[in-house]
Amino acid sequence: MKKLLLPIFVLFIFILESLFVELFSPQLFNSDRIIVPHFLLVVLLFLTVYGGKKQGILYAAIFGLLFDIVYTEVIGIYFFLYPLIAYFVSKTMQLIHNHLVVVSLTSMVGIILLELGVYELNFLLKVTEMEFQTFLQERLYPTLILNLAFTILVSFPLKRQFDKYAEELRNE
Amino acid sequence: MPQFLSNKRLIILLVSIIILVALIGFSIREREKLTWPEQFIKDTTGWVQSAFSRPANYVAGFFENVRDLQNTYEENKELKARLDELAQLEVNVQTLAKENKELREILDNKEDLSEFDPVQAIVIGRNPERWHELLVINKGKQDGIKQNMAVITANGLIGKVKSTSQFTSTIQLLSANDPTNRISAKIIGEKETYGTIEGYDEERKLLKLKRLPYDAKIEKDQIVTTSGLGGVFPQNLPIGKVVEVVPDEFGLNQTAYVEPGADFYDIRHVMVVTVKTQAPDLSDITSEEEEEL
Repeated sequence: MKKLLLPIFVLFIFILESLFVELFSPQLFNSDRIIVPHFLLVVLLFLTVYGGKKQGILYAAIFGLLFDIVYTEVIGIYFFLYPLIAYFVSKTMQLIHNHLVVVSLTSMVGIILLELGVYELNFLLKVTEMEFQTFLQERLYPTLILNLAFTILVSFPLKRQFDKYAEELRNE
Repeated sequence: MPQFLSNKRLIILLVSIIILVALIGFSIREREKLTWPEQFIKDTTGWVQSAFSRPANYVAGFFENVRDLQNTYEENKELKARLDELAQLEVNVQTLAKENKELREILDNKEDLSEFDPVQAIVIGRNPERWHELLVINKGKQDGIKQNMAVITANGLIGKVKSTSQFTSTIQLLSANDPTNRISAKIIGEKETYGTIEGYDEERKLLKLKRLPYDAKIEKDQIVTTSGLGGVFPQNLPIGKVVEVVPDEFGLNQTAYVEPGADFYDIRHVMVVTVKTQAPDLSDITSEEEEEL
């Protein structure tokens, strides 16, 4: 039973992103800024750091593929970038101490990497014609602020739950 | 410092880049329909999404209602003023509809491009990354929805069906930056002017209506609707109002900026429009031509 909880939780976050955009869209869209929730990536990165590297990258790949199929209909971008970022974060965490604040800041770096990667790929694929300066000011900075707020809210409970989860994995 | 990329990892990275390019190439081309694994995943997640999005929408709707109550008095005043005009308008519409029907009978013309059957649907998801403006709705092939059908709200056209699975479908909004997304439209005036909706000005939040004849006289606030000429969308679905007209880059055409009537952001309920009159098959046209020869 407990094993099922983690996939269900991640799936809930996956749907929460779409719900968030749907429900708060009037407030979010009527300004010039584009604010994108990356709650799923934050959770996946915390899972990678505290719950275990293999688990994290596996979940990143599965949910990246799900994200591509369900939301963007361009398969490959998130399927590739989610695990890659999870891998880099897990590597970085071997170098520095995995204190909560450090992990939160690293997941912000992860979000920057993801946004940059997706922007560059979409620019190549001609999905967007946004200029880099506009991208930075109207999209990246507001997105970071929203996700930082989310990270601060959930970081402590997430760490506790994933620590427990890792403990259980070790005991098995 | 541990090595970031060993040889084995490098190979994995390169292979996954190749897979990435292959997958993107496979999925970005114009596809007639989705593969069955995609459809299966979409249906499954669509089911979970609607389980979450309905209660969430009820809660959001409640707060919206409370907010609406605050403006009730002023709105009521304004609406009462409009009511007088409405009675007059209703009489006009009735006489016109009757006249139209009679004239059609005289002409023996049963087919009408503006007739359509709407399918009601609820929005259960929206693409959170917001590069592609896509919505997910809770009706699919089983409800008779096909690719490229027009999607409207009460205020006007919002987009078209991009892909369908058995129980859900994905809608591409007009505000998406997709050069292949063109809609034949007309400006209603004394003389109708035809053009195509191509692209969206993200900064000004206006649609671009291109390929209007250079000598057409277009004024502000004229109404833009679909023309039904593409054979995919029915006629006379409202799109918006003209805000500004500028000459094209080469001066051969004009481009009108159109303010969309529908809100692309606060969308809960949509209607998918199915045309009653089907465009003639290509085979019919060619055979007729042969007969003439």
